[in-house]
Amino acid sequence: MCDVMTDLNSITEKILQIRIAQMMVNENYKDGQFKIPIHLAFGHETIAVAINEIMDDEDKLILTHRNIAYNLSRLGKLRPIMDEYFLKSTGLDSAKSGSMNLINPSKGIIYTSSILGNNFSVAVGIAMSLKIKQKDGITIVLGGDGSLEEGSFHESILMFKSLNLSGLLIIENNEWSMATKISERRIHIDLETFAKSYNVKYVKLSGNNPLDYIQKLKKLKDLSKKSNELICIEVMVNTLGDWIMTNDQNPDGKFINYHAGPAPTVDVKTCPALIKENNSDPIFVLINLLGIDELNKISDRIRHDLEEEMK
Amino acid sequence: MNYIELINNLLKEQVSKHEQLVIFGQNVSAGSCIGGMTRDLSIPKSGRIINSTNSENSLCGFGFGMMINDVSSIFFMKQLDFLLLGIDHLVNTYNLIRNHENNASFTIFPIVMDNGFQGSQSSSNNFADFCSIARIKGYTITNKIDAEKIISSKLISPGFRIIAISQRMFKDEVITPDELIYVNDENDVFQYNSGDDVTVVCFNFSFPYGKKIVDILKDNNLKCSFFNVNSPTPTNWTKIVDDVSKTKKIIIIDDSKSENLSCHSLLTDISDKVVLDKKIILKRNFDNTDWLNPIDDQMDINFQQVVNDLVD
Repeated sequence: MCDVMTDLNSITEKILQIRIAQMMVNENYKDGQFKIPIHLAFGHETIAVAINEIMDDEDKLILTHRNIAYNLSRLGKLRPIMDEYFLKSTGLDSAKSGSMNLINPSKGIIYTSSILGNNFSVAVGIAMSLKIKQKDGITIVLGGDGSLEEGSFHESILMFKSLNLSGLLIIENNEWSMATKISERRIHIDLETFAKSYNVKYVKLSGNNPLDYIQKLKKLKDLSKKSNELICIEVMVNTLGDWIMTNDQNPDGKFINYHAGPAPTVDVKTCPALIKENNSDPIFVLINLLGIDELNKISDRIRHDLEEEMK
Repeated sequence: MNYIELINNLLKEQVSKHEQLVIFGQNVSAGSCIGGMTRDLSIPKSGRIINSTNSENSLCGFGFGMMINDVSSIFFMKQLDFLLLGIDHLVNTYNLIRNHENNASFTIFPIVMDNGFQGSQSSSNNFADFCSIARIKGYTITNKIDAEKIISSKLISPGFRIIAISQRMFKDEVITPDELIYVNDENDVFQYNSGDDVTVVCFNFSFPYGKKIVDILKDNNLKCSFFNVNSPTPTNWTKIVDDVSKTKKIIIIDDSKSENLSCHSLLTDISDKVVLDKKIILKRNFDNTDWLNPIDDQMDINFQQVVNDLVD
């Protein structure tokens, strides 16, 4: 029990670090300080930390345009990422990548794509390279629910399976593609059935409990490596930062789900960095697990540390 | 030896030397092995030969993915137009790779379907367009000399490139130029003859037409400089411009079906420096829609008329 609480405290610090770091990026964004587009990932912190926890030195992480939570999680610092967003030579990738293509090879992030579905097949190649080089690592590739609509999703699963390559295919399902809900753009895709048709094991994660995510992902990673097979993991996420747009066409206001750009309703001063009072917000889940007083205490410390880092 | 036998032999020689090499593509080691191109390829045990799925887009990403993690590969492709499905990776994925340090090799090796009679589809021969779209190095193989130079130096070397061969030449006796007078450092401009009367320059897969013109000019006691531009973009053709400065006459042959012909770039560069006495451009005629039908893909060139026009 004691170990579990220690783990939870440590994980909570990491989740809060990603949340508050993003809030600090968002404040600069709201001030119009960035020339580049950034896709914030409020609400994605738990899966990002869980992936970081299961990664070993030789593992490779292949990301999408919405990579900020994963990059923060792998790096554990904000300054080099903020500098990259400001296109400074001191940036994480020396101002070569900006946000949507940000990589960090020293931490296993060797490819990040701004093109929907583009990274799946690159991940197949990376998985093959690990096999050719007889490395112990595994390839973990991220995509969103929108990327299921790309042909490369199908092609890449087919190649992973046909070539007996291990890998974790993580689909972050936030039920939106830019400003369009799934129900507004297509029929429902039953990902479990889809995966089953390729003989790919499917697992669904939801609820944002970090210890639960880590435990399950560790087992799935071991299984994938042992059996040289792809495993599809659908993670339910809510990309937080929505707002209500009011104009002549929408006098009563229209719900706008967050996609990219500044999140106008998110305020860095909020303590303990909570955005939504339900389980779709990882911070809400942590409050339930540790109590509001503990969360406030940890978030104050993390906020202070980040402010010191950014001085 | 015919053209495809030569290509196959050169490929066999090169791939046998490289450890941890991955060769992939549809039918690379099955059936005819892509018309004989990849027949009996043998690589060290540390590599893999993969008869792949029919997923051209993802196969391009697959090669780039291996390249990112330092494994070299060659993607053999039955038809150049299949590469249209992989354009995303050419224009997007490759940019991230070339903007960072990388020592692996990735080569896409397509066959250009320029033999005709394919129907209204499967006749794209616009190789330069694929190279131009993202400033990718590409090489055409047209004869014994350029085949040996390009395959030995480019097939497996750090970086990414496309090397294309011509379906129409597959069964022809491979053309062996008498001598190689000049080739630039990048192996993208080759010179085979030198003369003061006219400069002949070939683009895409028009080398056999150019060779025929050069032979006819020789029969008519005209001495020409003969160049082949093997890599359409970006190309250092200073040597050609210098030669035209001397001859003041140029014959250009470009058999690509593109609206954006590489030879136009050369002409622009020449026009900045040389006032030409004669300019003959042999390119495809699209005045009617016959080209959409399953017809012969050979260019219709009146070779004697070319000679007459030159001496006129």
